[in-house]
Amino acid sequence: MGDKHGRSDSYRVATIPSLPDDNKTADGKAKSRRKNPKKKGKDDNLDDLKQELDIDHHKVPIEELYRRFQTNPETGHTHARAKEFLERDGPNALTPPKQTPEWVKFCKNLFGGFALLLWIGAILCFIAYSIQASTVEEPADDNLYLGVVLAAVVIITGCFSYYQESKSSKIMESFKNMVPQFAVVLREGQKLTLRAEDIVLGDIVEVKFGDRIPADIRVVEARGFKVDNSSLTGESEPQSRSHEFTNENPLETKNLAFFSTNAVEGTAVGIVISCGDNTVMGRIAGLASGLDTGETPIAKEIHHFIHLITGVAVFLGVTFFVIAFILGYHWLDAVIFLIGIIVANVPEGLLATVTVCLTLTAKRMASKNCLVKNLEAVETLGSTSTICSDKTGTLTQNRMTVAHMWFDNQIIEADTTEDQSGVQYDRTSPGFKALARIATLCNRAEFKPNQEGVPILKREVNGDASEAALLKCMELALGDILSIRKRNKKVCEIPFNSTNKFQVSIHENEDANDPRMILVMKGAPERILDRCASIFINGKEKVLDEEMKEAFNNAYLELGGLGERVLGFCDFMLPTDKFPIGFKFDADDPNFPTSGLRFVGLMSMIDPPRAAVPDAVAKCRSAGIKVIMVTGDHPITAKAIAKSVGIISEGNETVEDIAQRLNIPVSEVNPREAKAAVVHGSELRELSSDHLDEILRHHTEIVFARTSPQQKLIIVEGCQRMGAIVAVTGDGVNDSPALKKADIGVAMGIAGSDVSKQAADMILLDDNFASIVTGVEEGRLIFDNLKKSIAYTLTSNIPEISPFLLFILADVPLPLGTVTILCIDLGTDMVPAISLAYEEAESDIMKRQPRNPFSDKLVNERLISMAYGQIGMIQAAAGFFVYFVIMAENGFLPGDLLGIRKQWDSKAVNDLTDSYGQEWTYRDRKTLEYTCHTAFFVSIVIVQWADLIICKTRRNSIVHQGMRNWVLNFGLVFETALAAFLSYTPGMDKGLRMYPLKFVWWLPAIPFSITIFVYDECRRFYLRRNPGGWLEQETYY
Amino acid sequence: MPEKTVVHDDPMLIGPPPVIGGWQSFKEFVYNGDKGTIFGRTGLSWAKIGVFYLIFYGILAAMFAAMLLVFFQTLDPRIPRWKLEESLIGTNPGLGYRPMPQEPNLDSSLIWYKGTKPENYEPWTKQLDKFLDVYRRPGLTPGRGQNIHNCDFDNPPPTGKVCEVDVKNWYPCNTENNYDFHKGSPCIFLKLNKIYDWVPDYFNDTSSLPDKMPNKLKEHIKNVPQKELNTVWVSCEGENPADIENIGAVEYIPKWGFPGYFYPYENSEGYLSPLVAVHFVAPRTGVLINIECKAWAKNIKHDRADRLGSVHFELMID
Repeated sequence: MGDKHGRSDSYRVATIPSLPDDNKTADGKAKSRRKNPKKKGKDDNLDDLKQELDIDHHKVPIEELYRRFQTNPETGHTHARAKEFLERDGPNALTPPKQTPEWVKFCKNLFGGFALLLWIGAILCFIAYSIQASTVEEPADDNLYLGVVLAAVVIITGCFSYYQESKSSKIMESFKNMVPQFAVVLREGQKLTLRAEDIVLGDIVEVKFGDRIPADIRVVEARGFKVDNSSLTGESEPQSRSHEFTNENPLETKNLAFFSTNAVEGTAVGIVISCGDNTVMGRIAGLASGLDTGETPIAKEIHHFIHLITGVAVFLGVTFFVIAFILGYHWLDAVIFLIGIIVANVPEGLLATVTVCLTLTAKRMASKNCLVKNLEAVETLGSTSTICSDKTGTLTQNRMTVAHMWFDNQIIEADTTEDQSGVQYDRTSPGFKALARIATLCNRAEFKPNQEGVPILKREVNGDASEAALLKCMELALGDILSIRKRNKKVCEIPFNSTNKFQVSIHENEDANDPRMILVMKGAPERILDRCASIFINGKEKVLDEEMKEAFNNAYLELGGLGERVLGFCDFMLPTDKFPIGFKFDADDPNFPTSGLRFVGLMSMIDPPRAAVPDAVAKCRSAGIKVIMVTGDHPITAKAIAKSVGIISEGNETVEDIAQRLNIPVSEVNPREAKAAVVHGSELRELSSDHLDEILRHHTEIVFARTSPQQKLIIVEGCQRMGAIVAVTGDGVNDSPALKKADIGVAMGIAGSDVSKQAADMILLDDNFASIVTGVEEGRLIFDNLKKSIAYTLTSNIPEISPFLLFILADVPLPLGTVTILCIDLGTDMVPAISLAYEEAESDIMKRQPRNPFSDKLVNERLISMAYGQIGMIQAAAGFFVYFVIMAENGFLPGDLLGIRKQWDSKAVNDLTDSYGQEWTYRDRKTLEYTCHTAFFVSIVIVQWADLIICKTRRNSIVHQGMRNWVLNFGLVFETALAAFLSYTPGMDKGLRMYPLKFVWWLPAIPFSITIFVYDECRRFYLRRNPGGWLEQETYY
Repeated sequence: MPEKTVVHDDPMLIGPPPVIGGWQSFKEFVYNGDKGTIFGRTGLSWAKIGVFYLIFYGILAAMFAAMLLVFFQTLDPRIPRWKLEESLIGTNPGLGYRPMPQEPNLDSSLIWYKGTKPENYEPWTKQLDKFLDVYRRPGLTPGRGQNIHNCDFDNPPPTGKVCEVDVKNWYPCNTENNYDFHKGSPCIFLKLNKIYDWVPDYFNDTSSLPDKMPNKLKEHIKNVPQKELNTVWVSCEGENPADIENIGAVEYIPKWGFPGYFYPYENSEGYLSPLVAVHFVAPRTGVLINIECKAWAKNIKHDRADRLGSVHFELMID
């Protein structure tokens, strides 16, 4: 490998294993938070990469290569051999990153979260049943029944989550298979079009412009062949490829073209030297998949929440287990209490609810062009505090467009907007006409055929990006370029090459009165100027004096300062006496003048920003999100684009700007004064991680230019070290390590490479940065709504647990059974909880800071205090009130209930006396008890109405929020209907022990429901009146 | 998330909190000297939240109590709100038996004693003494026996009056005779569950007695005077063939059922359930006998598993 760090250092760095300290420090420091157990594996992996890079395929004589791959250059492989190779090496495709086996995913869903707790409950049930079965003759099958129900609940919710998960990953799979790649391969002397996967080592393939290179190939013969390595390097400058071996480094030599890069020009024939994972692309993809990503923020939140609830459940369970012992209960009874407390404490349906909410948001985002691969990533964008955005293709349109022209000694601005809505310029002046003629004729780019319906700017062009830009600009200004070119037939041409840095062509003149032929030339402005003797200004040819040169220089500098690529244009009318029609021009040894020409003007091109980006960046700003540009492009271009999209906002200066303004050396400027910074990749390489932290901390507007994939990774790690939640956008393979490392990687759906899509968590189907803003908004909304949903669901835990506690402590008949608890958690609460995901935002969520992942928790003590301590308690009161009412109306006054539990639950007692002297058989009082369970259940549904309505808002009044959430309104009806169904359907007494209720027994809970509503409206009213007050600190979740 | 005012220019300035070990952070949670917090709050903060919840729960409890109080105003202290079919108690009374096993064997229905040892059967007889106390001394009942009416089949009690159950002369099933426990032929007392307003539907047509009714009872019914047909009959039998063999002779004292003039039960002061003492004359000793006693009226249905219209107990005499 060469030591020169040329242009290709971006991919070189990616494949050099031992990048200095930076990486290690970054990793080492971050270790505490983001552990990296695969560190060693990563190094090994990188070592492998280096070894495999030691190829000699580009060095050895081509005959040697044919021998090695047993191929015939004339006829290619035989079918038999190709088949043999294919079987030996496998298909020519990147192995998708190692997927967790399906059964492991399934088991995670089956045993993760609350499932474990419920399994314990189920197992305790089975144990209790088997003990009863072995001691009592006719055991009550309650425990067996409950155990089966619990197990079923766990299995069903597990299957459900698994199904949701696999469904969202299937979206991705279908996406991947959308565009099959084909390649032209020589086999047994025939040219066959095969699927790219079927290509094997040693195949002779033909590639032409517009194709994607199907594997790493060594070019055998080429005609004007150029490739765009942007998917590897991020830079879209076409590089020419030929059969010459020019560099030891396989990545820099001209005779290799790489898998998944694009051929932009010319044709080539090559021999396949490596396939699939062994390709350079495959290796970078390997680097990306070697990185491990941390948990998503929402996963952390959910774990936090599960720990909290599990903690409460275990604490309560164990406490009451012990209390039951102390109170002298049989240990089997204590076990049954434990089961009850576990079941009451665990919000069984909540995780499924969260999954559904996230899925709904994912769907909504997909309809807005954000395809989410990983469900949990839905929320990540919402908590994002830093976006590291790639420039090309994300912020910009990824097509060169003429931005400015200089002729007649003035700079004219061309329209760069996507829809041509910008200002128009005068197209009639002679200066423009002359310039346009050169730009039209001295141009090899052509539109691809059959694009009549496509807007000009969006048409595909064969040829170099700058020429394409000129072509489009001219097509817009003059109309049908093809016929203009036809009328001015090209006679001779010297294509652009890097030594002369110009391109010249000679054309016949369409003007019938003027038999002279015209020579047109374009190229690097200073080189062009050198070849000129005069300048064409306002229709007159003037001598090119110092004054004019000064004017030229100013214009050139100004355009260059905008980060634009500037081309100079000149022409010359060839005198007829020396060059009559039919003159034999010699392009190899020019026999025509190439100096003393007439300078006409300059045109400058830039890849202009997308229309929606400045707005999107501004929205991110107001949402407190820092947007950092990370690009492989030039600092000047990067800065210009950054300024035009607002990443560097107006009036903010970099250190260099300040130095220039004050006319002092850069070293004398206090870096703290500059809000903006442009950091060059080579600078970044020298920086220690502390220094990087300092840059990230003290500059709010940062542009990293000329960065390599590894540096992108370092930047992402730096931001994460600062506690930021980082989103990375990118499209190239070079971005994929950073995409993987980011909290959320966002790949481009159209321009993005497969590898980047693989590494990303989210795909922007329209490649538009503005879609990210939608994502942020949806992410924030779902976080808020999940809070509401969880608050709603947790509230009903208190009326579920408290009956057990009273049952144990006061010895009353059980007011609410485990089966009814499950009916609430998995039945009536589900739809309302999900419907909160449809709730509209209360205020402009894009005007506040991103949440602080360390202090703004999904479930915090305030939420618990509200749900458990306040609303839940009112609900429990409602439930007990109904319980006492039904007991009293049937004969058992509350005073007589205390301490009655043992006789009540004894099957031997067939004549239990109530407060009216009536005597109850076991069956009758159990019917009464189950009726109470049903009534308690119904009363929870009734108080949950109010809870649902108050959970719609966290600060606003419901009057303000409205009841326009129709899914939620449906939820209210649904839970009521379900409760009625469970209570009144015949047979429910056998199945779920639910009994029909008298209508009046629905009513006692209503005052409590009203209380909840009024209390919370008052609380929120006070909250709004006293922002930041004590009540807010204690109850605003 | 509260809409915070931006403290820092740059949200990223807020770095991750320092990582502290589990035990250390727990200790800091319990008591943090720097911040003066105990369990995450300062004293003042605890006081504030304490007062808040005190008031909150105070009001909630007051509301609960007030609503319960209002609700009680709607209840009649003597008449249940819902009766018979309206109430969950229904219209199908069960039977109760005495003596019953007490704590800690409340779940059992086994009467097990050694006939030769007084200390062994005494708990059972004492329980019966206690149970029958109120029958023997009417002054113990509410109303002190003021409204006792001398009832007969021809002379049912007027509203508000109750009938007397004279248990003193039920030899051998009386306290002086240890209810015959000591002879290995114990008396078990049966009573029909009280259900407010429930009136039995008597078998007054002796020709159409149910098939399942024991033949002995059928014969007995056919021989009683017409007016005494207004009785809820009682029968006790072994549950299984072996039990039927082991149970031996059964006598019903004073009558073979509960006289109809005790019904309906209207929660009148001093009302006492009519009793039947079932005298197991010679049950086989040393084996467990499953006994099922049934009450017989047209509107009493029987279900062994749910103990409807019946009662189940086991007898074992060593």
